[in-house]
Amino acid sequence: MAEQTGQISKGAKIGMAVASLILATAYFTFLDYALMNIQGLDYFYLFRK
Amino acid sequence: MATLNKQAQKKIWAFFALGTFVGLLLMPLFLSLPVGASGGAPAPAASTAPPAAQPADAKPVEKSRDIWYKTEGPVIGAPAPKTTDGPKDYPRYNFESRVLLWVANQQHLYYGSFVLAVPIFCMVVEYLGIITKDKALARKYDQLAYDFVKISLTAYSLTAILGGILVFTYLTLYPTFFGYLASIFRPVMHTYALLFVAESGTLYIYYYGWDKMREGFLKWVHVSMSVILNVIGTVLMMLANSWIAFMQSPAGVDADGRYLGNIWHVIHTTLWNPINVHRILGNMAFGGGVVAAYAAYRFLTAKTDEERAHYDWMGYVAMFIGVCFLIPLPFAGYWLMREVYAYRQQMGITLMGGLLAWLFIIQAVMIGALFLTTNYYLWQGLERMRGAERYQKYIKYMVFVLITCFIVWLTPHTMVMTPAELKAMGGQQHPVLGNYGVMSAKNGAINTIITTTVLSFIMYQRGNKVPTVKWAPLGDAFLFGLFTMAYVNIIWLAVYGYYIPANVRVGLSVPQVATTLSCLFIGVTLNSIMMKGAKELGPTVWGQISVRSQYALIMLATAFTWMMGLMGYIRSSVRLFWHVNEIMRDNSPWAFTHTIGFAANMISFNVLFFWMTILFVFWLGSLGVKKAPAAASVGQKVPVPAGSH
Repeated sequence: MAEQTGQISKGAKIGMAVASLILATAYFTFLDYALMNIQGLDYFYLFRK
Repeated sequence: MATLNKQAQKKIWAFFALGTFVGLLLMPLFLSLPVGASGGAPAPAASTAPPAAQPADAKPVEKSRDIWYKTEGPVIGAPAPKTTDGPKDYPRYNFESRVLLWVANQQHLYYGSFVLAVPIFCMVVEYLGIITKDKALARKYDQLAYDFVKISLTAYSLTAILGGILVFTYLTLYPTFFGYLASIFRPVMHTYALLFVAESGTLYIYYYGWDKMREGFLKWVHVSMSVILNVIGTVLMMLANSWIAFMQSPAGVDADGRYLGNIWHVIHTTLWNPINVHRILGNMAFGGGVVAAYAAYRFLTAKTDEERAHYDWMGYVAMFIGVCFLIPLPFAGYWLMREVYAYRQQMGITLMGGLLAWLFIIQAVMIGALFLTTNYYLWQGLERMRGAERYQKYIKYMVFVLITCFIVWLTPHTMVMTPAELKAMGGQQHPVLGNYGVMSAKNGAINTIITTTVLSFIMYQRGNKVPTVKWAPLGDAFLFGLFTMAYVNIIWLAVYGYYIPANVRVGLSVPQVATTLSCLFIGVTLNSIMMKGAKELGPTVWGQISVRSQYALIMLATAFTWMMGLMGYIRSSVRLFWHVNEIMRDNSPWAFTHTIGFAANMISFNVLFFWMTILFVFWLGSLGVKKAPAAASVGQKVPVPAGSH
């Protein structure tokens, strides 16, 4: 199996890393927004000013 | 038939004895009720009959209002005494009585925490031994549980002795105050004493019955006894907590301190439950630290590789348990502080923004030191594993991140300065470093420290393993994305906080903590799933670890001890000049807050005293060792806690 891991191309690895970064960004942005909203606060306060 | 009769007789006697014991336990509670407390005759307050039905000479019942619950109740107790500075209320040596009481209290608390926490570990580990199917592993778990309880047994006697010293110190140096407290908590104190007897009996049967109850159903009975032991221990702790909670946020009495007949109100004050939760978690973290230090001590003095392997593993397990309870501890502390603010805002301000605020800076330093030490131990632990060398190159970057955050974390908001220094710096805050002394920066720093600790743990889990699941590359990519963006998010929120008003900024701490917890729960769970059935690059060689790692464990335990002493002092001194807040004033000559330097010296003395005596306890424990620990030969696999490698 370890050999299989090694068989994955560099491009695929970069692709997965980029996809994962995008997914994590979306998750954390949602988390920030939702948790501020629960407290009755505006996460985008600075940008709406 | 005759045998059956004998068995039946035994059962009857057993139930009779149990019933008597339960009755004795409940008697103080009965006596606390108005009927019982009045010496048999129905208390006028309890009577619902019309006044005409009462005897002509019966006095009207005085009623008063509960200071916290605002309910009305019959006045049963005397008002809180108004003390004066003199030998009647404050008899003394030519010495500050408060300092003697401080030492007696703190030492009793250290030992009490230890002997309450260790049986909980013992229960968990013994249970793991029962459910483990592999007999060799089960024996090792059982030996570990036995080792745990053996340490606590010697400490238990010392706890009782220190409790006696504490009561004598109260009686001889603060008789009026203690008399008042005892008059309010009379039934609770009796229950406490009886529970202590029950705890002692259960502990001794549990320890000495270990070998006889080793197999089959009896083993289940034995582990059930550990549950009973821990229930009694926890109730004991909660009863003792009710006394300190009452001193800080009294209830069940009126404004004059007169007891109103409802013992539950006196016990269940507003700070009681937050203190209970905080103390249970704190005790567990502290107990883990002390057991880890014991294991480190035994590791350092071990003569054979087998012993070293066993105590290395024991130290790791204890450290793991301790850190598991350390992580939720700040949240419990947050709840306690929130309740303090809700009870009396001024009390909260005195704690965190006033007189005692600098002590919180010291606390920050201790917390930083705890996390640095935990990381260091995990990195040293990589030495046990063949194949873990590939992770060594990342450690220097992690050190850089941790040290940078640690420096930000301990930067004070304002400095204590001479006028000349103030002028040279151009104000209370340094033009550059002052920016790091605010909560925005500090929240970012501590969350980065905890996230890095989680990363260290994941690295340790992976040590000598390579995942073999098909989706491993995807899992690795996900972990990379999760941690990278978690760091970015934490720092972003910290920076963002500088540009928005305070009322919005305060809310940012919640998503910051959620980011850290996401890494903890998602990251560790995903990694654990990936590591199932993973290919091992080499064995984990328990015992093959640097001596420095063992000193790190001792450092961890010492830091826990110091922090407990510090936080106990903070919580106690926030009452300022009150024995019982707003009810009974402290009129002794020592009703002032000590300087930070004096307090720090006292805490250090208490820590040193505790460690000197606990070393004695460890030494005593080692005298009783008749057999070598369960064989765990070098290089042999030994069980590790769930979620570990």
